[in-house]
Parts: sequence; structure tokens; C-alpha cells
Amino acid sequence: MGLLHRRRDVTVDDAVHRTAELDAARAEGARAGRALQRAQAALDSLPVGVVMVDARGHVVSRNASTHVAGAHGEVLVQEAIDRHVEAALAGRESQSAVELFGPPRRVLQVRGIPQPDGGALVVVDDVSERARLDTVRTDFVANISHELKTPVGALAVLAEALADEDDPEVMRRLAGKLVDEAHRAAAAIDDLLELSRIELGGRAGHELVQVVTVVREAAVRSLAGAEQRDIRVDVDEPSPDLCVRGDRRQLVSALANLIDNAVKYSEAGGDVFVSAPVRDGDVELTVRDRGIGIPTRDLDRIFERFYRVDRARSRETGGTGLGLAIVRHVATNHDGDVRVSSEEGEGSTFVLAIPAVVPASDPAGAHEDDEHDRPDEETFG
Amino acid sequence: MDELRRTYHHDLDHAKDELVRLAAVVTESIPRATAVLLEGDLEGADYIIRGDDEIDARSMDLEERCYEILALQAPVARDLRQVIALLKMVAEVERSADLLCNICKAARRIYGHELDPKLRGIIARMGEQAQQLYEAAIESFIENDAAKAAAIDDMDSYLDGLQKQFVQAIFESHAAGRIDLQVAVQLAVVARFYERIGDHAVNIGERVRFVVTGWLPEHKGAERFRHRVEVTGEIPRIPTGPVELHGTGAADGVVGDDAG
Repeated sequence: MGLLHRRRDVTVDDAVHRTAELDAARAEGARAGRALQRAQAALDSLPVGVVMVDARGHVVSRNASTHVAGAHGEVLVQEAIDRHVEAALAGRESQSAVELFGPPRRVLQVRGIPQPDGGALVVVDDVSERARLDTVRTDFVANISHELKTPVGALAVLAEALADEDDPEVMRRLAGKLVDEAHRAAAAIDDLLELSRIELGGRAGHELVQVVTVVREAAVRSLAGAEQRDIRVDVDEPSPDLCVRGDRRQLVSALANLIDNAVKYSEAGGDVFVSAPVRDGDVELTVRDRGIGIPTRDLDRIFERFYRVDRARSRETGGTGLGLAIVRHVATNHDGDVRVSSEEGEGSTFVLAIPAVVPASDPAGAHEDDEHDRPDEETFG
Repeated sequence: MDELRRTYHHDLDHAKDELVRLAAVVTESIPRATAVLLEGDLEGADYIIRGDDEIDARSMDLEERCYEILALQAPVARDLRQVIALLKMVAEVERSADLLCNICKAARRIYGHELDPKLRGIIARMGEQAQQLYEAAIESFIENDAAKAAAIDDMDSYLDGLQKQFVQAIFESHAAGRIDLQVAVQLAVVARFYERIGDHAVNIGERVRFVVTGWLPEHKGAERFRHRVEVTGEIPRIPTGPVELHGTGAADGVVGDDAG
């Protein structure tokens, strides 16, 4: 009986003790689990892909950034990861780049690093943006020298020729060409100044601007060019109530740039459509043409300064290669956005989206703006 | 036996992985070849043409591995279909890579000639569509998805339509004197290459369906033919049954059906 008692005592004690131990272990386990979850969540939010492999080649951990969109891209990246795991398990450090042609073009740097415990770590770094910026920079330097040096070089040559010339007829012709080239250089510099003004200006002004006046003014400005090329500019005018907040001069300049482009790249006798529908709270200043279109590959680059889809044609079409860069900055200054969709041979559609102002909120302001529309042209600048 | 099966599945998985990788290389090369053509990128052309040698070598290795599996593991039923399908698909992928080389060679021949924006637009769309078909083929293969595989066929009809549209555009361009006859002929052939790449993607999809369901579109035609022979008593020009020369057997029967 005594024995039984004692034994029971021991058992209860033991049980209590064990339960406490178990609870502690369980809590410890839960803590470790939570820590692991946190670590995995942190890894997943990293922009760098990380794969950890143990010495036997089993994947211990892998984060979300090691996956890329598209079945075939995923397969190609996986192939590179496998290769580097193998190298790292053999104790070698290795590195290679996987280029996915896109569009959008992507460059992923994959690196295998041997670990002290005999395992391997593979890091996948998306360097697409860096690669893109590098291209933009080199192209920018090449393009700006092309745009500025060409007219200046022409001026020098023409001036030299003029100095050696006696025939008044030839002199007159050379002088005429000098003037043309000087205008060209001046236009490039004007555009550059305009662009830096818009760039430095930051957020545009807060005047209420009637969209219909922007559309009208921009269309009028492009009229001469359109008539010259026998192109009809079809304007679907928005309601006079529709307003946006910002700088009217900038908006007109941006829209006129878009219309000019549409006219330039349309075939003679074609049509250009301008409209300003409201979608999701934005006024979408839309310019659509049925011209030659833009190659898919160039679509995300055309808003860069001096970028040309076809440099051979740039003298033919005129312009300085800054128009779309200006449009993009105007969009940014107005908390807006500029988008393009295009198909070669079918035409392009540019949309400059600017947050719309609900007409009822400030009808007096809109009206006031309307009244001062023409006489105070300069004060809007 | 368990050990044997494990080796079989291990080998088969490896072979499947390699096929997916080869198909991924082809998928990635389609937009590159299109850019070579549209931008006259001779360096890019070289890159793709040289890359084809690697695809050839890897395809042959993969084929060899499939033969080994057949010889050493003698798979049956779905497993057998799986290996046979792999063998057929390797050929499709390898041929598609060749067609991409042909596009690059055509790009070299028409180097320096300007193309109409309309022609360029359709070429770009054909390239995109061919890539999408291949992407879908890879996905259906990885996921063993017969429904997705069946959808590739519908996608292909859009590519076929583009090819016809392209040929029409070539005629128009030529009539307007904007394109040399020589270039026009090269381009017509290029359109055919894209169309064929699409067909190969469709074939891969059909093989996926074959693995999953055991059915091939060719079965319909074969069935019609057998029925006709039965009803009319016509003497087939080619023997329909197992070929006597190599003896008979279940495997021969399968191969005979495929040819039909």
C-alpha cells in the first residue's frame, strides 16, 4: 500500500514535471516556428532571390524572388540555379547572367556561393533596371551629340563655304541654308530649355483649366503642319464643364506635341483623332493615328530624351527628339500619366491621363478661368 | 522492383526536365529571331545559328536517354506513352530550333532592305503568337494539362490567319513597288517558318493529350480509313496492320497507329 502510494506520488510528480517540460518545449517550438516564419516572410519580401541548399543538395529555403513570370523564363532561371548549386556544392564560387529577351527585357545575375557547412547559397539578382539605365545613359550621350552637333557642324561648313564664295546667287543659297540650320539648332535648344523648365518646375500650378480650351489650342497649333501634309485632325470636344488642375500652357504644349507626332507619322491624306473621355476619375487626352506605328521593342523607350525609333528618318520628320520627354514630364507634374499602345503598320494611340476635377466642386473658379482665358495668356506660364 | 521503379521515375523525370529546358530555349529564341529579322541584327543571327548546334547535341542526348529507358526499363501503358511522347516531342523542339535558324538566315539575305511598317507589324505579331503557343505548350506539358494542350490548337488558327494576312500584305507591298521580288519571296518563306513553329507547338500539345488521355487527333482519320476499308473492301495502298518484317507485338501496334 505504502509502496503503491509512493509510486503514485512519483508518477504524479513526474507527470507534472513532464507536462511542464513538454509545455516549455512546445512553446520553444512555436517560438522557433514563428521565428522561421518571420525569417521566411522577410526573405520573401527581399528583391533578391535566395536559394539555400544543404550539403546533400536538398533545398532548405527558397524565397519568392527566385521565381520569374512566364513558364519558359522560370525554366531558364531554374536551370541556371541548378548549375550554380552544383558548382557551389563542389566548393566553387560561380556567376552567370540569364538574359530574357522580353519585352520587357530582363537581366538576372545568378551567383553560387559555397557555404561553410558544405551547403550552397544561390543568389538571383534582377539587374534589369541597372542594365536599362546604362543603355539610356549611353544612348542619351550619343543622341544629344547627334542632335546638337549636326546643326552646329553644318553651320561651320556652310559659313566656311560662304567665306570662300563670290557668286552672289550661291551666296544667297548658302545663307538660306545657314538660316535653316540655325533655326534647327535654336529649336533643339528651345526644347531643351523648355524641358529643364518643366523638370525643375516640379508640381504644376493649381489653376483650374478647362480641358476644352486645352484641346482647342493644341489642335489649332498643329493645324499648319497637318494642312501641309493633307491630314485631317478630327477633334471630339469634351464638355466645357470638364476641368483639370494645373498649368494650361504645359498641358497645351504636351497635347500639341502628341498631335504633331501623330501628324508627322501618318501617311499623307490620313486622319488623326483627338478626344478627351473621362475614365476612372482621369481625363484621358487621347490622340489616335493610323500611321506607321511604333515597334514593340521601342515602346518603353520613346519617352526618353532624344530617343529615336529610326534615326535615319529624324531629319526628314524634323523635331528634336524631345517632344515625348516633355509630354512625360508634364504628365508627372500634373500627377498624371502618359501611356502608349501601338502596332506597326496599324497606328498608335497616346493617352495623357490627368486627374479630373469634379466640375461642381468649383464652378466659379472654372468660369473665372474661362473669362480670363485669352487676354491673360502669359500669366498662365 | 521498387528500386527499379524508382530508377525509372528518376530517369524519366530527368528526361522530362531536359525536354522542358530545350523547349524553353526555343521559346526564348523566338523573339530574338524576330528582332534579328526586324532590326537586321547580324550578330544576333550568328548567336542563334551557333546556339542551334547545342540544341542539336542536347536533343540527341535526350533521344538516346529515351531509348535507354525503353530498352532497360521496358515501361508499359501510360509510362510507355510518356517515353514515346518524349521521343516525338524532342523532334518537334529540335525542328523548331532549325526553323528559327532559317528565319535568321533569311534575315541575312534581306539585310539592308527596308520593310513596310505593315509588314513589320505582322512579323512582330507572328513572332509573339508563335512564342505564346510555345509557352502554352511548355505549361501544358509541365502541368500535364490536357485542356490547356487542346487550347493550343485554337491559338494556332490565329497564327495561320496572320500568315495569310502577311502574304496578302506582301502582294500589296510588291504591287506598290515598295519591295523587291527577291525580298518578297524570302518574307513569304519566313511567314511559313513562323507558321510551322506554331504547328510544332500544336504537335507538342497533342502529345501531352496523348499521354494524359491516350488519344491523338490522328485517331479520327485512322478510324475513318479502317471503316472505309471494311465497308468498301478497298485494298489499302499501305499495310494497316503490324509490319510483318519486324515481327508482331503491342509496341509495333502503337507505332503503326501513330503513322496513320
